[in-house]
Amino acid sequence: MLAYFLRRLALTIPTFLALMFLTFIAIRLVPGDPVEVRVGEHGISPERLAFFRHELGLDLPVWRQFLDYVWRLLHGDFGVSLATQQKVLTEFLTLFPATLELSFFAMAFAVIVGVPAGAIAAVKRGSVFDQALMTVSLFGYSMPIFWWGLLLIMFVSVRLGLLPVSGRIDLITYYFDQPTGFMTVDALLSDQPGAFLDALRHLVLPAIVLGTVPLGVVARMTRSSMLEVLGEDYVRTARAKGLSPGRVIGVHALRNALLPVVTVIGLSVSGLMAGAVLTETIFSWPGVGKWLIESIGRRDYPALQGGVLLVSAVVILVNLVVDLVYGAVDPRIRHGR
Amino acid sequence: MAADVTASESGDSGAAAVLAQPSPLAAFWSAFGENKGAAFGLAVFGLVLMLALAADLVAPYSPIEQFRDAVRAPPVWETGGSWRFILGTDGDGHDMLSRLIYGARVSLFIGFSVMCVSFVIGAALGLAAAMTGPVVDTAVTRLMDLIMAVPSLVLAILVVAVLGPSLTNTIVAVTIVYLPRYVRLVRASALGELNKDYVTAAKVAGVGPFRLAWSTVLPNCLAPLIVMAALGVSDAILEAAGLGFLGLGAQPPTPEWGSMLADSREFIRSDPWIVTLPGLAILITVVAINLAGDGLRDALDPKMRRG
Repeated sequence: MLAYFLRRLALTIPTFLALMFLTFIAIRLVPGDPVEVRVGEHGISPERLAFFRHELGLDLPVWRQFLDYVWRLLHGDFGVSLATQQKVLTEFLTLFPATLELSFFAMAFAVIVGVPAGAIAAVKRGSVFDQALMTVSLFGYSMPIFWWGLLLIMFVSVRLGLLPVSGRIDLITYYFDQPTGFMTVDALLSDQPGAFLDALRHLVLPAIVLGTVPLGVVARMTRSSMLEVLGEDYVRTARAKGLSPGRVIGVHALRNALLPVVTVIGLSVSGLMAGAVLTETIFSWPGVGKWLIESIGRRDYPALQGGVLLVSAVVILVNLVVDLVYGAVDPRIRHGR
Repeated sequence: MAADVTASESGDSGAAAVLAQPSPLAAFWSAFGENKGAAFGLAVFGLVLMLALAADLVAPYSPIEQFRDAVRAPPVWETGGSWRFILGTDGDGHDMLSRLIYGARVSLFIGFSVMCVSFVIGAALGLAAAMTGPVVDTAVTRLMDLIMAVPSLVLAILVVAVLGPSLTNTIVAVTIVYLPRYVRLVRASALGELNKDYVTAAKVAGVGPFRLAWSTVLPNCLAPLIVMAALGVSDAILEAAGLGFLGLGAQPPTPEWGSMLADSREFIRSDPWIVTLPGLAILITVVAINLAGDGLRDALDPKMRRG
C-alpha cells in the first residue's frame, strides 16, 4: 500500500519537472526580447541593456536559467504580471475559487442529471427514453459549448429575461467581503437577503454550459456500466431472493455500476479546466480561464506562463489524488502495473 | 485474435483500395449499414464533405466579398429577407451561406490534417516506444503524460501564444494536444502484439526492425487506431473552432466556423442568425462524424460493441 503511494508520488515528480521545462521553453520561444518587452523598444543604451539582461539573469547559460526558474518556483515565486504588477500566484489564487466554484456546480449538474438518466436508460433498455437519452448525450458531447452558451444567453437571458447574462453576482445591489472567494458561500456569510439566490442565479447558465459535455459522458458511462452490472450474478441473486426492483437497481446494481463513473468524473478535471476557458469568456466569469485569454491579448507572458503552470499543476494533483484513492479502494490497481 | 486481423484489413480497405478482397469489406459494410445512426451520420458527413469540395461551384458568392449595401441582411424566412442572401449576411456584409460552405472546407481541412499528422507521428512514436527499449519508451511515455496533464485548450493556447495565431498553427496546436491518445494506443497494442508467434517468426526470418514495425506489427494494431482517428476528426474540429472563437485560430476574413462566432455576441439581440448558423454547422458536422465513428467502431471490433 505504502509502496504504491510512494511509487505513484515519485512518478509525479518528473511530470512536474517536465511541466516546468515546458513553460520555461515556451516563453523563451515567444518572439521578441524579454528586455525590450519590459523597458520598451527604443532609446536604451547598450550598457543599460546589459544591465537589464544581467538583472533578469539572461546573461547566464540556459541550464542555469532553468535551474533558477525551478528554484524560484519551488519558493512560490511564479513571477510578476506585466499588466497588473501583481504576483502571478496572488492573482491566480484570487481568481481560482471562481473557476473552482463554476466547475463544481457544472460537475454537480452533470452527475445529478446524468447518473439517474443513465441508470433509467439502462433499466429500460431500448425504450423511447433510452433512445432519446442516447441522442441527447451524443449532442451533449458533440456540442461546441461556446455556441451553446451564446444560445442560452440569447433565449434564456435576452428573450425571456429569466437569468443574468454575465458575472458572478449583481454588484450594484450586493456588496460584501469575500473571505472564501466562493460567491455562494460568501453570499450566505454576508447575511444580505437575496444575495445567495442572486449568486445561484448567476451560476445556472455557466454551470449548464460547462456541464454539458460531462453530462453526455456521465450519462453514457452510467448506462453502459449499469448494463454490464445488471447482467451479473449478484443482481440475479438479489432479484431471486425477492427484493423489490427499486432496491435491486438502486442498491445492488447502481452502487457497483458507479465505480467506472467515478473514474470518468476524476478524469474530467482536465476537460473542465479547458471548458472553463470558453465558458468564462462567454459569461465574463472572473476566473483563471478568462484571465489566461486576457493575458494572451495583453502579451502578459509571465501571467500566461505562471497560469498555465498552475492550472496544469492543479490537474496533475487532482489526477494523483484520484489515483491514490483508487489504489486505496481497489487493490487490483495497486498491485497491477 | 484472427478476427482482429481481418477486421484491421477491412478497415484498411476503407482508405486504400483493397477491393480485391470483397469478403471482409462486404462484412464491414453490412455491419456498418445495420447501424442506422451510423449510416445517417456518414450520409450527412458525405454531404458536408461534398459541399466543402465543391464550395467554388456551390457557394453563391465569395466568402470574403463584402456587400456594403446589405450589412446584416436577414435570412429569407425572416421579414425583410430575400433570396439574394438565403441565410442572410453578417456584420461585415459577408454572405452567410457562402461563408458556411467555405467554412466546411476550412474545418474539414483542419480535422483531416490533424488526423493524418497525429496518425503518422503517433504511430511512429508509439512503435518506437514499444520496440526500441526502455530509454525511448520512458522518454516518450513521460512526454505524453506531460501533454495529457495540461488541459487541452490551455496547451493549445500556449502553443498559439508561442507560434502566433493562424490556420497552420491551429493545426499544429491541436495535433500536439491529441497526439498522446494515438501514441498510447499504438504503444499498448504494439506491446500486446510483440509477444505473439507471428512476430517471433518474422524476427527469426530476419525481418529488419523498420519492416517489422511498419509491415508486421502496425497492420495488426490498426483497427482501434482507425476508430480513434475517425472520432479524432470531430474532436479536432471542435478544438479548432474553440480556438477560432477565442480569436486564436484562423484569422479573419478566413471563413472559419468558430471565428465567425467570435464577434457574434453583439448581434444576439438584433440579428440572431449570425449567432445560430455557424454553431449549427459545427454541431451537425461533429454529430455526423461521431455517429459514423461509433458505427465504425462497432463494425470493426465486435468486442467494443456497445450494449
